[in-house]
Amino acid sequence: MSENTTRAAVDIGGTFTDFVAVRDGTLSLEKASTTPENYANGVVDVLSKSDVSMDDIEQFVHGTTVVINAITEREGEDCALITTHGFRDVLDITRANRPDMFNFRYEKPEPFVPRRDRFEVSERIDQAGDILTELDPSDVREAAAEIRDRGIETIAVAYVNAYANPDHEQRTRDLIADEYPEAYVTLSHELSEEYREYERTNTAVLNSYVRPIADDYLTTLADHLEESGVEGNRYVMKSNAGTSSFSQARQSPIEMVESGPVGGVFGAARIGEQLGEPDVISFDMGGTTAKTSLIEDGDVDIETEYWLESSARDEGYPVQVPVVDIVEIGAGGGSIAWIDQGGSINVGPKSAGADPGPACYGRGGTEPTVTDANLLTGRLNPEYFLGGEMELDVDQARASLEPIADEFGTDVRQAAHGVLQVVNSNMAHALKQVSLQRGYDPRQFALVASGGAGGLHAATLGRELSVKETIVPRAPGQFSAWGMLLTDLRRDYVRTLVRSFEPDAADIVDDAFASMADRAREAFDAEGVPREDIELEYSVDLRYDGQEHTVQTPVRSDGDRITGTAIERTIETFHLRHDQAYNFQLDDPVELVNLRLTATAAVSKPAIDVLERDGRLSEARKAERPVDFGTEGTHETPIYDRSTLPVEVSFDGPAVVEEPACTTLVHPDQTCRVDEYGNLRISQQ
Amino acid sequence: MSSATESDIDPFTREVITNALQSAAEESFINLGRTAKSSVIYETLDYACGLIDPDGNVVAQANGVPGFLGTLNFCVEDTIEKYGLDGFFPGDIVLLNDYHGGTHLNDVAMVAPVFVDGEIVMFAASKAHWTDIGGKDPGSWTTDATSVFQEGIQYPMVKLYEEGRLNRAVRDIVEANTRMPEMTLGDMQAQEASMEVAVERVQEIADRYGKETLERAIDDWLEYGRELVLEEIESLPNGTYHAEDYLDDDGITDEPVYVTVEVTITDDSVTFDYTGTDPETEGPINSPYAASVSDARALFQAITLPDAPTNGGFFEPLELIIPEGTVLNATKPAPIGTDWESSAMAADLPWKALASELPEKLSAGHFTSVCATIVGGTDDRTDDEFLVIEPQPGGWGACHDRDGADVLVCSGDGDTLEMPVEVMETRFPLLFDQFALDTPQEAGHGEFRGGTGLVQDYNVYNESGAFITASFGRSEFPPWGVEGGQPGDGNYIEIVKHDGSTERHRKLTNYDLEDGETARLVTSAGGGWGDPLERDPERVLDDYRDDYITAETAEETYGVVLTDDGDLDVEATERRRRQLSTESTE
Repeated sequence: MSENTTRAAVDIGGTFTDFVAVRDGTLSLEKASTTPENYANGVVDVLSKSDVSMDDIEQFVHGTTVVINAITEREGEDCALITTHGFRDVLDITRANRPDMFNFRYEKPEPFVPRRDRFEVSERIDQAGDILTELDPSDVREAAAEIRDRGIETIAVAYVNAYANPDHEQRTRDLIADEYPEAYVTLSHELSEEYREYERTNTAVLNSYVRPIADDYLTTLADHLEESGVEGNRYVMKSNAGTSSFSQARQSPIEMVESGPVGGVFGAARIGEQLGEPDVISFDMGGTTAKTSLIEDGDVDIETEYWLESSARDEGYPVQVPVVDIVEIGAGGGSIAWIDQGGSINVGPKSAGADPGPACYGRGGTEPTVTDANLLTGRLNPEYFLGGEMELDVDQARASLEPIADEFGTDVRQAAHGVLQVVNSNMAHALKQVSLQRGYDPRQFALVASGGAGGLHAATLGRELSVKETIVPRAPGQFSAWGMLLTDLRRDYVRTLVRSFEPDAADIVDDAFASMADRAREAFDAEGVPREDIELEYSVDLRYDGQEHTVQTPVRSDGDRITGTAIERTIETFHLRHDQAYNFQLDDPVELVNLRLTATAAVSKPAIDVLERDGRLSEARKAERPVDFGTEGTHETPIYDRSTLPVEVSFDGPAVVEEPACTTLVHPDQTCRVDEYGNLRISQQ
Repeated sequence: MSSATESDIDPFTREVITNALQSAAEESFINLGRTAKSSVIYETLDYACGLIDPDGNVVAQANGVPGFLGTLNFCVEDTIEKYGLDGFFPGDIVLLNDYHGGTHLNDVAMVAPVFVDGEIVMFAASKAHWTDIGGKDPGSWTTDATSVFQEGIQYPMVKLYEEGRLNRAVRDIVEANTRMPEMTLGDMQAQEASMEVAVERVQEIADRYGKETLERAIDDWLEYGRELVLEEIESLPNGTYHAEDYLDDDGITDEPVYVTVEVTITDDSVTFDYTGTDPETEGPINSPYAASVSDARALFQAITLPDAPTNGGFFEPLELIIPEGTVLNATKPAPIGTDWESSAMAADLPWKALASELPEKLSAGHFTSVCATIVGGTDDRTDDEFLVIEPQPGGWGACHDRDGADVLVCSGDGDTLEMPVEVMETRFPLLFDQFALDTPQEAGHGEFRGGTGLVQDYNVYNESGAFITASFGRSEFPPWGVEGGQPGDGNYIEIVKHDGSTERHRKLTNYDLEDGETARLVTSAGGGWGDPLERDPERVLDDYRDDYITAETAEETYGVVLTDDGDLDVEATERRRRQLSTESTE
């Protein structure tokens, strides 16, 4: 990795478009407003605001919400579906579940392709990949002609069992090309080689749905970047915490569906590694939601069972592509506190958002939010919000919390403290979901907190979960963009192969992995990556015979081939992992469900230098104010300015550390150390 | 409300404690779902995990289906009655599935005490459908048993663990009484592990907040449930409402079984009185008391606060009168293998009585039956036995303002996942020739249309063949419409023989299918809402273009006439609608 490269990342968020660049180990930050009417404009704005010279940018990484917005706003293009005879309704049938169990008026999600635009063709392949009915070419031609006549530009092709044999889907593409060469065609098996027809079909459909928009967007952005003088390599952040080239992203835009938030998770993983704490829980709290993910031994956890728009009330839409496993809840600075019919206090998921925002913004919001509670307890500084760009109105915050105080017969300060207690309990639940509920002991992990509201709650949550330490990195408000700077080119392949997993299966497993590896190498060839730069990691999804859910287990191979011994060792690892996750193991035979291959190609990245900042702690101590710590009492608390905090110093809580986009709270029973990179590291005294 | 309770813990701490209890129940639920070996548990989610206080109140419960809403508390109450509160020790786990469990024998419950300072503060309880527990036929439940003794082994509240030590004798009896020991012991192990999780979490909460604070939080919480629902009941229309219906048969004779309810709503109570319902039957459609209570509670929750967490206080204002010895409150040794057929009526009857009164809460009638299906045999690929057990989804009733949902699991199922065809084909020697909406739709028409049923072809792809056991209720007495909406068409199974001939059935036990033969499972459309002639012609046109209905149905049922190009003929439609409307009033 060369040291002097300039790498830049632009991350489009709901409110701000963030820019982060590193050159010669030095960090540059910039922010501009997000421009929803044309996101590329916001990117150009933030680039022109920054003092980094565009010609020097050798690597440009981009995280974008364009795909997820096209889906949630239903602004994609009409698309058609070609599928196996007898199966055109998989999009209506879904998994037929009723998550909202006592709602006897449940409404299912509406398919992205109307029934009339779904075409059945004669063909059938069985689960072993054997062809039972040959593809009827005239069916495909007729469908393609009809789709063209209807003026539909994008076509998804999804056949039953195509994961086991892609032949018919591939031939269908050729047949469509004869009849309707201009059409955008997505084949289900190219996005996913896993079983579950609804999930794979819907993935192909959503990819088709967003393809024209993503294509336009990336083309426009590439033009703008060239005009701005950015000529280096351009990458897009994918949901698997890796990147791909713009050209590859145009083919499979659905892989960018969680392009933004994964930057933060990846950043947390890298910070952990750099600090020798490879086991990390990431925690990112913004204005509307909090997101958390668990990182074991430096590896982010990738899932292919991702559901868009799903909640306790709605099943949502499945997307069967690799996505970092993130738990997201409706808890952010703008989350509104409310009392339900039975007189119980709740916080979120409704948020005051950026407009009108919390009551204390003084823009007409009257409902109490988490930010108002933080302000009233003295945790937030009314005069230093966004670095003083905006003054917060304490009276409005107090007025907003009065109804809660009245309801419970407490004073407003207690009510504010109660709101914080409830939101913290909700977030602690999410953190437990990714750790305890999956068999991980949080005491073995460090908590890495980011997002505008992360620092205010991190130390409280870290103590609640008894983590080793809580780390608040530099520029926590732009952490997701920072994480993107450190990413590699990455492709994840998952292929379903259900069979017993035993030493005799070595050849079959080896062959299947070899063909997956070939696919990965070819894809990287197309992006001009030299073969020797490609790193391959193999793992398998295993379960005890008869179970449904699987446990991902790394394949312990020695050398190039997967041998019977490697399989035996893998099985041993599986038993241990099952025990860790679920408290038991069995003597039963083990079954293979999926093969997983992660292919990465490292790109040159900037080194993160130690921060050279001398000086005295007392010089960074800019004020004192009373801060209410609830049951721990109200303390006259020193306030530190983060931009002048020297490195390698420690101070005891209570303390507050302020920087323009974030405030960090340290409890009275905690201590905070500023490490050599400028991270705040909070632990119990 | 906090002002009404004599409590000295603040509302925020209470909230944090009850959240933690709720999340303990959820964690135990997730744990069991991810490790169980029966697809009925991990896909159908036919299980529940809960925390019950020593007075028998549900404090927290995570449900995969509503069917256990009223059973865990009885499991705990009966277990306490047997042992006495001083008859438990830390590390005990009690196993039960007999009439005390309150649902068919396949649902096996576990109950474990949580001790703090030598006293029981809580019981963890769970109940899960085990695939096979013996009995006369594979899968244990049948459509033709005439006694509970034919339906599997009964575990009469015996300790599987005593002070943390496995009771080997009980375990061996479990193993000896199943056709699929590996699967059954796997399920048992998964369920034990999930109980341990629940016990551990409650222990942690009690250690942290202390026994007294915990108990006070629970009392407040139950009071909160009561207050919450009472406020909602006030807004329900007071009055007495009535409904009646029939079950197709009991599986032994062809006699329909009469069921009825009288619903009374006052300012502070809701009563479902099922007096007048037929006596328990010879065949296994009987429901034990607790199963009927569960379904009645599910409907009660649907008409009050569907989102409220499960909480014993919540159900206190619901009064249930279910006379003993009826098909909704069967007595031992009446067979109960397909108890869901009648218990579903405990929900469906008050639903029918109230639908037009509570249009914002209830749809028209849906396909109702779980349509449970077992297909099994020997898989020629591996020579192993296979057994697939699945509920089938069907059409839901229309609502007052929109069409009913197509192909959705019944009210007795919940976040139950239909197994994908591709997964089924890897696991079982079956091929699916179609997996489709049952269109064109011929029933359930209305201003708003009932959702369509599912038509699904299980084609046997196995030289040694397979057998099928299935119970498709609501076959002869279809889902009901509301305010002029048409009824649905009924669930059924069609066997397609080699020669193309077909047989129609509604219940089958151990029916042999040869290689290449097909069991076509067809579920009903839901009932319609409102007069079909009131349906917006544009919607009728959309239905036609999407192949939901034929041009003939558009014209004959909806009075919507299409031009030769398939567009709307506005004038002809007006004429046709006037004509049909006169005909119907004559």
